[in-house]
Amino acid sequence: MITHKRPHRHLALLWALVVCLLVGHNAWLWLGKRIVPDTDILALLPADQRDPVLQQSFTHMVDSAQQRVVILVGAAQWNDARRAADAWSAALAPHADLLRLDAAGDEVQAGWLDGLQAHATLLISKEQENQLREQPAGFWLESALGRLYGAFGGPKLGAFRDDPFGLLAGWMQERAGETPVRPRDGRLFVAGQGREYVLLTYTLQQPAFSLAAQRQVVPLLDQAGAAAQRAVPGVEVIKAGVVLHAAAAGRQASSEVETIGLGSLAGIVLLTWLTFRSVKPITLVLLAIGIGFLGALSVCWLLFGRIHLLTLVFGASLIGVAQDYGIYFLCHRLGADPALDSPRLLRRLLPGLGLTLLAAVIGYMGLALTPFPGLRHMAVFSALGLVFAWLTVACWFPALVKARDMRAGWLARRYTGLAARWPRVSASPATLALLALLGAGALLGCMRLTVNDDIRSLQSSPPQLVQDQIKLGKLLDVPSPVQYYLVRGATDQQVLQREEALKRKLDPLIAQGHIAGYQALSNWVPSAQTQRERLALVEGRLLGAEGPLAALAQQVGEDRGWVEATRTHLLSRAAPMSPDAFLRTPASEPWRHLWIGEVGGVRASIVALRGMRYASIPVLERAAEGLEGVQWVDKVGGISAVLGRYRAYMGWVVLGAYALVYLVLFPRYRGRTWRVLAPTAAASVLTLALLGLSGQSLQLFHVLALMLLLGVGVDYGIFMQERHGKDGDAPWLAVGLSAANTLLSFGLLALSGTPALRAFGLTMLAGTALVWLAAPCFILSEEETRAETVYA
Amino acid sequence: MKRILFGLLLAASGAQAAAPVATIQGMLAKPEQLCGRFEQTKQLAGMKKPLASNGRFCVVAGKGVLWRTLKPFPNTLRLSRDEIVHLQGERVAMRLEASQEPTVRMINGVLFSLLGGDLGQLETLFEVDGKATAKSWNVSLKARSPALARAIGAISLDGDAYVRNIHMVEQGGDRTDISFSDIKTGPGAVLPEEAALF
Repeated sequence: MITHKRPHRHLALLWALVVCLLVGHNAWLWLGKRIVPDTDILALLPADQRDPVLQQSFTHMVDSAQQRVVILVGAAQWNDARRAADAWSAALAPHADLLRLDAAGDEVQAGWLDGLQAHATLLISKEQENQLREQPAGFWLESALGRLYGAFGGPKLGAFRDDPFGLLAGWMQERAGETPVRPRDGRLFVAGQGREYVLLTYTLQQPAFSLAAQRQVVPLLDQAGAAAQRAVPGVEVIKAGVVLHAAAAGRQASSEVETIGLGSLAGIVLLTWLTFRSVKPITLVLLAIGIGFLGALSVCWLLFGRIHLLTLVFGASLIGVAQDYGIYFLCHRLGADPALDSPRLLRRLLPGLGLTLLAAVIGYMGLALTPFPGLRHMAVFSALGLVFAWLTVACWFPALVKARDMRAGWLARRYTGLAARWPRVSASPATLALLALLGAGALLGCMRLTVNDDIRSLQSSPPQLVQDQIKLGKLLDVPSPVQYYLVRGATDQQVLQREEALKRKLDPLIAQGHIAGYQALSNWVPSAQTQRERLALVEGRLLGAEGPLAALAQQVGEDRGWVEATRTHLLSRAAPMSPDAFLRTPASEPWRHLWIGEVGGVRASIVALRGMRYASIPVLERAAEGLEGVQWVDKVGGISAVLGRYRAYMGWVVLGAYALVYLVLFPRYRGRTWRVLAPTAAASVLTLALLGLSGQSLQLFHVLALMLLLGVGVDYGIFMQERHGKDGDAPWLAVGLSAANTLLSFGLLALSGTPALRAFGLTMLAGTALVWLAAPCFILSEEETRAETVYA
Repeated sequence: MKRILFGLLLAASGAQAAAPVATIQGMLAKPEQLCGRFEQTKQLAGMKKPLASNGRFCVVAGKGVLWRTLKPFPNTLRLSRDEIVHLQGERVAMRLEASQEPTVRMINGVLFSLLGGDLGQLETLFEVDGKATAKSWNVSLKARSPALARAIGAISLDGDAYVRNIHMVEQGGDRTDISFSDIKTGPGAVLPEEAALF
């Protein structure tokens, strides 16, 4: 017996050393290096399908919005709106270190045009550029006279001689049309739906996803809202910002942790105590799972240098499988003869335990064969986690668990007898009829099953926030941050020219109502080619010797000297513009995010769309076709497509995993192998059918759950087939305990408000319950086992 | 854009927002309809000769303002609640609608509040300075915000029961003087062709 113990002590010590290293490495990663998991779902795309310019454009569009909190304070009367807004900003003013009010002052408004004066003659609206080509000299003479004599000849900026034909004014009006927001009394103003609103924009001074910011911002905004209500009862306040969604998600998550999390923990602890009359087993199982998780994370980080949130989430589902090894051992310990010491018990259990590990690892490795880095990371993470948890059970449990540690509790005594009375699968007419009925139901359900990968169906923000967001988007006419055109070129000029070519294709789409308009840097800085064309138009059509300017002088009695002076003055305001110079002026501030600049030797920019209709997306996508360097970007569609492809790949991997596991198990179980897999396969099909019958659409998270179900289900199958007379009811108890824990930990996620977790939980709930119910149906009695083994 | 409009509004409404506000308000007649002639002289930066024009104007409560330049070139400006329309002869040279340009309603809101005798609006936008005698008054308006000052410059007006003169000096150097005469009120003030234009 001493010879048996020695190597085991060594192993346990060696493993303790490994665990110390893991804990140290993890402490260094999280506390020292402060690693943050990736959250961008597009990072899960295969590397060759990722595009740095595209990534940069997402950053531009999203980051410019992420730190912003936008508030609209509205009332029927402008004065009321103003008073309420003043009360609102006064309430927030002391917290400028958290939320800084963006300058909307008159000084900014007054000075913003200064930077453009030197180029004013080049700034001509689309409509007037066409008129310059088409309209006769008389048209322009009439227009100038109207401006000269009329009390109001259209919008006017500067002195008459700065803009005699109203071109700059027309351009300004065209630019003003890009946003309904206007300065008014030193505030920003927007009107809609019978109300007048003051627009306040704040920049969050802490990252929007930091928990501290989320916790502080929401109560502050509520206070400010109350202050606005006190100033003007009945005032409407519309709020939007990424931080509000993040805070709502955080609140939901923490309340779910409290209800679902505590509920499942309490359930598991109670269950363990009722079974073993001790809570030591549950701490041991958690220890194995914890070491598995830490080990997987360490090695994954060393291998890949990064970790994705989705990997962690799926990795966390390891618990479902990793607990099985510990529970299996503990249940056998409970049932075994106290004279049999733990190391020897383990040795007897090793074949079954080893096989469960092998089957699960091989199943997960199927994921590694896909081209998606996310799935490969998940595969490696899961497989490693299982190996570490398994080794913990194998190395430590014999030393930690003694025969006298546990006694069969009330639940264990009641439950163990059930298996013997369970119905078995056989060729009896009753069984066949039942099978036929189930088969028909499964077929019907699976035929009803639809697929939906739309990322928006996974959104779970509170309706009030979503409504506010929609209303605000409508009032402010903000362009979509997730659908736009990406324009690339070798030089800035090429980018601007390509933008202009795209805009020519978009103009008819505005007329057809697909979009309300577009925002592009070339609206402000035309390409050098367009600048030359416009200058030639102005010189040729307006400033010529016999042109409208000369005719105007004749009408008002000015001499050639005035014509020459005005011509020189206008031409002096035609200095060539460049994007770089424009981006340094205050006027460019709202548009800077549209210019990506240089990324990896390529120049790029964004053309954003206002008032886009979702139904028009295919039309807009086609508009980019045939235009060199122009790409239609639909991030919502892109993420949905990634989810869809992962779902499809995952589905094949699940099927492949069944085949592989079958091959792995065949040498040991031969003709009985199907009995190991049948409960899980049947449960999976029935679960899919139930999803179909209940009108759920299949998505990635259902399939991820089916993969996990295979992992736990095969364990149950193996446990039940590893039954020997001397084990008594230990396998059945292990299956029951493990399944109940899985139901409590994952099944309860079906109550979650987060759609992805709910989908996962629902699948696990139905699937695990069905595997548990089905597992005893496929076992053989002692005699049958012997007969089959002989036969095989 | 705001510059001339505000000039117009003040002229048309009789500039109630003067100081001492109460005295001037008491002096001003507040007819439902008011029409008259105007003479306008502009002195533009860089031009030797002043530009003279004249025409007729009307203010009708609840409808808006009509500004008809008759000489030397006929053109008409019409301000109503939802739009600003500029007619060159028969041709619509420009139309600004409130649904597209939110400032239209804002400007017209100022107009209507002026017509209604609501001084609050004007005083939020301008510092009002001036004096009144028994028979006449004059005020100067200084925009409170730099943006507005840049757009419309400095305005001064004088009058009695009605506004008689408006002077505007813009930051670009252009100057405009408008004087009003032949002011009529009551049902017969608006000519039939003007009623058709409203």
